Amino acid sequence: MEHATPAAQVLLPLFSIIIVAMILTARRRNLYIRRIHGLNAIDEAVGRATEMGRPMLCTTGASVNTQGGIEIVPLQALSIVSYILRASAPFSNRAIIPVYDPQMLAVTQEAVQNAYLAAGKPELYNPDDVRFLTNRQFAYAAAVSGIMHREKVAASFLFGYFYAEAMIFAETGQQVGAIQIAGTTATTQIPFFIAACDYVIIGDEFYAASAYLSREPTQLGSIVGQDICKAILLGIAVIGTLLVSIGNLGGYTWVDTFVKLFK
Amino acid sequence: MGVVLQQNPIPFLKPVLGNGLLLYLFGSLVAMVMLIAILQTVPKQFRRRIILLTTFIGGLFYALEFFLPVSSMPTPANANNKGNFLTPYVVPFGVITQIVVGWTIGLGIINLTMVHGKRLLKPKQQEAFWNSAAFFICMFLMTWFGIAYELQKNAFNDSIYKILFVGALQSLDATMFSIIAFYIVSAAYRAFRVRTLEASLLLATAFIVMLGQIALGQWLTQTFPSALRVETIRGWILDVANAAATRAIAFGLGIGSLAVALRIWLGLERGSYFDKES
Repeated sequence: MEHATPAAQVLLPLFSIIIVAMILTARRRNLYIRRIHGLNAIDEAVGRATEMGRPMLCTTGASVNTQGGIEIVPLQALSIVSYILRASAPFSNRAIIPVYDPQMLAVTQEAVQNAYLAAGKPELYNPDDVRFLTNRQFAYAAAVSGIMHREKVAASFLFGYFYAEAMIFAETGQQVGAIQIAGTTATTQIPFFIAACDYVIIGDEFYAASAYLSREPTQLGSIVGQDICKAILLGIAVIGTLLVSIGNLGGYTWVDTFVKLFK
Repeated sequence: MGVVLQQNPIPFLKPVLGNGLLLYLFGSLVAMVMLIAILQTVPKQFRRRIILLTTFIGGLFYALEFFLPVSSMPTPANANNKGNFLTPYVVPFGVITQIVVGWTIGLGIINLTMVHGKRLLKPKQQEAFWNSAAFFICMFLMTWFGIAYELQKNAFNDSIYKILFVGALQSLDATMFSIIAFYIVSAAYRAFRVRTLEASLLLATAFIVMLGQIALGQWLTQTFPSALRVETIRGWILDVANAAATRAIAFGLGIGSLAVALRIWLGLERGSYFDKES
């Protein structure tokens, strides 16, 4: 089993306190976060699907926790999908949500129902459109590609963690002429999405997405807290670089002792 | 795995065989059905509190196990193992989540059966009917021969299982995987068209990296000084520029994961499953 190193014992509780403090702050006053262009395009994609009268496809990625339990990434993707559904509900757009991880099925069904309910259109929820397909990677890729072709989707939202199937989804979407917006935490797949999709949100924009879209105080506070934590990490990285450089000059044993704390 | 299970400190979760196994299976089935039935009757608001409490206890267990001081705790599998008083319970907790996963796969199969069953009974399109029929035939064959192969290992079951799994399923997987090669070329062609400054930079970088990967590129620049050889530049692009950007992204993602995990663990999301806050 892995256990906390001295640095983790200090930094993780510190970051947790900062994030929770900023969430509580955000509930009392408005906080600002910058524009994310890829997310503004979601409304454009929803509009395109409305004009064309064709469905949208939203995935929450193709990752599964083999140890059991749901991972954070598909849950975050689901929060973005919830926003997309709320945004599309006034236009009665149909959304197809293929599910990869069977553990996500019930959560996705409830989130989709809640999204339509919140938008005042509970009748839009169609249980057949929230489908568990398979948890085999390429079987899922084949099934999603098949759905894209058969339903001729007008917009494709690819959020979550992806592996090699990312390219298959993105190129199939391109073939059927869908406007595509992707966001993933898989750094190896970001280049493929950039090459093949219309808009891509990268890195921690993925976690900022639901806050930016929904403007809910809890999520806004969380994003501001994350930014403070990143600034602290950046400071540690700069100080660490300087210290390691000094340590390499030799004769400074205290530097080595200090640097070891962060290993 | 067997060694780990023998260390299971909860007697109730120790593996049993024979009639005891059947009794356990039946008992757990009844218990889970009853639990689900009780949860269904509980008002939605109260059910949400149960979910929040369960999530908090689960998260608290793993957080304490990770943060509490550790001491030497050798096991037959690992003499250098370290842990605290919660470490022996990590495996039983993992077993509980595996059981939940097993149930969710059942839910997934029910969902698939309902979606495709409707299409078989009330087909709107001819194509949809045959797709759904193919699904049921494949599911039945795979399940039947998968179980038969495990229960009775003979030449017939073995060959049918291999035809279905290795001959069909794995070959289909490989087919889908191979398609990616063509998709990459198609996407690269669109991305590398020199229309903007960014696309031009992307093209130039990709050209250098690809050239540095192959013997031809290395041969072309073999007379250059070491720092200007294509494999050196390729190495710098991958190991310095690319690695720095990837690590920066990884920092942000790590903090983002922590934030979402905290919000879910502490029940800070006010709505249920990303509802709007009231």
